[in-house]
Amino acid sequence: MSASLASPRFHRLVLPGALLALVLLTVAAAPLLPLADPVKQQVSERLSTPSLGHLLGQDEYGRDVFSRIIWGGRVSLSVSILAAACAGLIGTLLGLVGGYFRGVVELMSVRLAEVVLCFPPMLLALLVVTLLGPGAVTLVLVLTILFTPGYARVAYAETLSARTLDYVTAQTALGATSARVLFRTVLPNIAPPLLVQFSLTVAAAMMLESGLSFLGLGVVPPSPSWGLMIRSARSVMEQAPLLLLWPCLALAGTVLLLNVVCDRLRDVMDPRGAAMGVIPGFLRRARSAALPQATTEPAPSLVRIDNLTLSLKTPAGPLNVVRGVSFGVAPGETVALVGESGSGKTLTALAVMGLLPPVVTPAGGSIRFSRRDGTVADLLHLPEGQMRRLRGNDLSIIFQDPSASLNPVHRCGKQVAEAIRAHGGGMTGEGSARAAKAKVVALFRRVGLPDPERRAGAFPHELSGGQKQRVMIAAAVANTPRLLIADEPTTALDVTVQAQILDLLADLKGESGSGRGQEGKDTEGKDTTGMGLLFVTHNLAVVRQIADKVVVMYAGEVVEEGPVAEVFARPRHPYTAALLASAPESEAEELTAIPGTVPSPAALPPGCRFAPRCGFATPACDSTPPASIEVAPGRIARCIRWMEVA
Amino acid sequence: MLAFALRRTGIALVLVWLVATLVFLVIHLIPGDPAELLLSQGGVAPDPAAVAELRERLGLDLPLIQQYFTYWVGLLHGNFGTSLQDDHPVAAEIALRLPRTLELIGGAAVLALAIGMPFGTAAALRVGGRLDRVASVIAGVALSVPVFVVGTLAILIFAQKLGWVSAGGYVPLAQNPGRHLALLLMPAGTIAVGLAAVVFRVTRSSVLEVLGRDHVRAAQARGVGPRLIILRHVLRNALSPVLTVVALHLGALLGGTVLVEYVFNWPGLSGYLVRSVEARDYPEVLGIVLAISILFVFLNLVVDLAYAALDPRVRHA
Repeated sequence: MSASLASPRFHRLVLPGALLALVLLTVAAAPLLPLADPVKQQVSERLSTPSLGHLLGQDEYGRDVFSRIIWGGRVSLSVSILAAACAGLIGTLLGLVGGYFRGVVELMSVRLAEVVLCFPPMLLALLVVTLLGPGAVTLVLVLTILFTPGYARVAYAETLSARTLDYVTAQTALGATSARVLFRTVLPNIAPPLLVQFSLTVAAAMMLESGLSFLGLGVVPPSPSWGLMIRSARSVMEQAPLLLLWPCLALAGTVLLLNVVCDRLRDVMDPRGAAMGVIPGFLRRARSAALPQATTEPAPSLVRIDNLTLSLKTPAGPLNVVRGVSFGVAPGETVALVGESGSGKTLTALAVMGLLPPVVTPAGGSIRFSRRDGTVADLLHLPEGQMRRLRGNDLSIIFQDPSASLNPVHRCGKQVAEAIRAHGGGMTGEGSARAAKAKVVALFRRVGLPDPERRAGAFPHELSGGQKQRVMIAAAVANTPRLLIADEPTTALDVTVQAQILDLLADLKGESGSGRGQEGKDTEGKDTTGMGLLFVTHNLAVVRQIADKVVVMYAGEVVEEGPVAEVFARPRHPYTAALLASAPESEAEELTAIPGTVPSPAALPPGCRFAPRCGFATPACDSTPPASIEVAPGRIARCIRWMEVA
Repeated sequence: MLAFALRRTGIALVLVWLVATLVFLVIHLIPGDPAELLLSQGGVAPDPAAVAELRERLGLDLPLIQQYFTYWVGLLHGNFGTSLQDDHPVAAEIALRLPRTLELIGGAAVLALAIGMPFGTAAALRVGGRLDRVASVIAGVALSVPVFVVGTLAILIFAQKLGWVSAGGYVPLAQNPGRHLALLLMPAGTIAVGLAAVVFRVTRSSVLEVLGRDHVRAAQARGVGPRLIILRHVLRNALSPVLTVVALHLGALLGGTVLVEYVFNWPGLSGYLVRSVEARDYPEVLGIVLAISILFVFLNLVVDLAYAALDPRVRHA
């Protein structure tokens, strides 16, 4: 079991669990309790109102209602529990054996049990009652038949997954007998879901049992049962409505208790199922509670991230996973954002797009972006409505996994057209649909998709991974963005396709800056109108190939920044140096792995975050986090010993 | 798509054969002499002459393979057997009553979808919010109250205490459409209570699941507005599981309307079934079970085909 007894999930189980135990104890102890005889009739006292002797009054034959409720519960619950247990025993066995041996055994066990599911349950119950006549024994039999396949399925599925667990495989390899592996190793492993299934089955069995009894085809009178009590109370409903209410309450209340216990039990055993309680970003009106800070900084040429801090909501409180990140992207420039998994590089990119996952919120800093119309906006504090007008327009992103990023149920062309139509201004109606479609085909041609007309009508699953990424790129560049973010766009693709996609990105960037003549260059000959590209990656070979500038992140902070050629030749931070030495693409003669692992954001080293893994670390490195130092024009390093590195 | 439809239909036909054969075998599978079993009441041994007569009437004295052959010839001619009590053909009674049951189920499904889907979606979009918490509790309670309790209490409140509607009954649509629909409302509404709770839960979890998918974020990154994202990229994708679960429940309802029809005196198929079970009219019960099971199989076929229409990936699987 994954949750401890002290967890809040477990506390939520206590109250309904205790109530259920009380109900079970009461009906179990019915013969010991000072109750009136539930079948003794007193016709002279029929339908009398509650009194001291008869707490809930008497029914149409003058029998004590309170006593009948308890004795009725005893019948209902014992039939249901017995049936759930029998079905559990048989079903689990079938599922275990079927899932463990597979093949013919599976056919004869699990699949055979599933034949029952071909029939509507109530129908099958009535069929059996016809053949065997009503009564408690028939009921147990019927319910057992009906609920066996449920257990068989759960046990089967769990056995299948348990079978592949390492220690189960190990036991088999060590020569343990099948029976031993099944009952000693697999069964304890699949017990929790079976326990949930049991409480679920008891509740379902009670519903069915009471239903059959209500029809007069279940428990045989004079034995009391809740279903039977409701049946007989119906005939005197006008004179004594309360008579109807008590068994209804008892039945519904018990089933409710069982269901609640079952839900909570599931939460205790499988914490993944619990809801997180967060609202998706696109539905939030304001994206951040913090107010934009007035700034005197000069307007950025394209985008400037300053002191960005992102905070992750955790059960233990907020955790800053990205701290004080600053860097910029100029028009026509390609900036590579490099780091290991968990370094915060993707979160930083998503923050620019305003697409942070709901559990991550900006805690400080600004992202100032110069829009197409010349105005500057702080993307971190822009209202969602304005942000939406920028996304897919001034600002675009390509994600890592093109297969997941395309909606499988819509045609590719339609999804790209969405980007065009979302920012189409006055484009509405029939004409615009045709115009958008023509534009999609042109875009598909531009991103190198063969037979673009046909590809536009294709569903995502009909395309290869590389083609899907081309579709995503087409959507991203549909409105000629000023800044394109590529978040590991080639990681999910085959190596051969990776190079093609990189070439395509380089081409698109080249096109955006060219053909604009002299006015596209400022006095120093720099491109001022071309598309900026922020390329997030962990692949240093790619960085060298496409980027102008590189920003290295480690444990949520920027540790080094500078022109690619300079940083690769003379890294000024030990981490960058180690990264270069460990990359298989590097020209180092020997590959050296970086010792240790990236620290968790919950347990950061007090001083330099890299100090514990650093070959240059001195005692001073462990005392306070080092500040960013401008080591040369345009070069920044966060290391007190930068002069000694490489 | 055509190949997919043909394959699914083929599987459905095999299932129909399986179900029909099982129903045929049921009487032979139980231990002891079926005729004796059907005639025995309260442990008293039945009259041997009556047993012999019943055996002959049911054709139980013939070889099994011949019985099976006769059974199939009958089925293919639409012969679902005749009543033991009055020799009335079962197929005729089914043809009369099945539409009424289907109407009940259809009405319940429409109500349940109309209530469950909007609330499920709203709850998922504001998960953990007030609406979500209140609706989830209500759904939990609705799922715990047996349908005959809901029906009985509805009669007690709306018919007896408030006098808004009559307690039950049936008037043919052609005779009085208004009254017909008024009488339909209570039983359909009763079934809809539990069904709406199921629809709510499935919609909620399905929408929540889709909301977390990458393609929703990608649509957002293209600048698509919230309304279009919800309709086109969330609800459209969340629909398939909802459809499946509802269809499965509707299938279960084909036999499960028994209780509601009984409570509200609705002269559908199930009432006929209960009467047959009470009389232990074995051929009648088998005929009804067979008819409903075949319907159940075909309902699942329709769902499979609808699923393929909704999700293009399924067609090629």
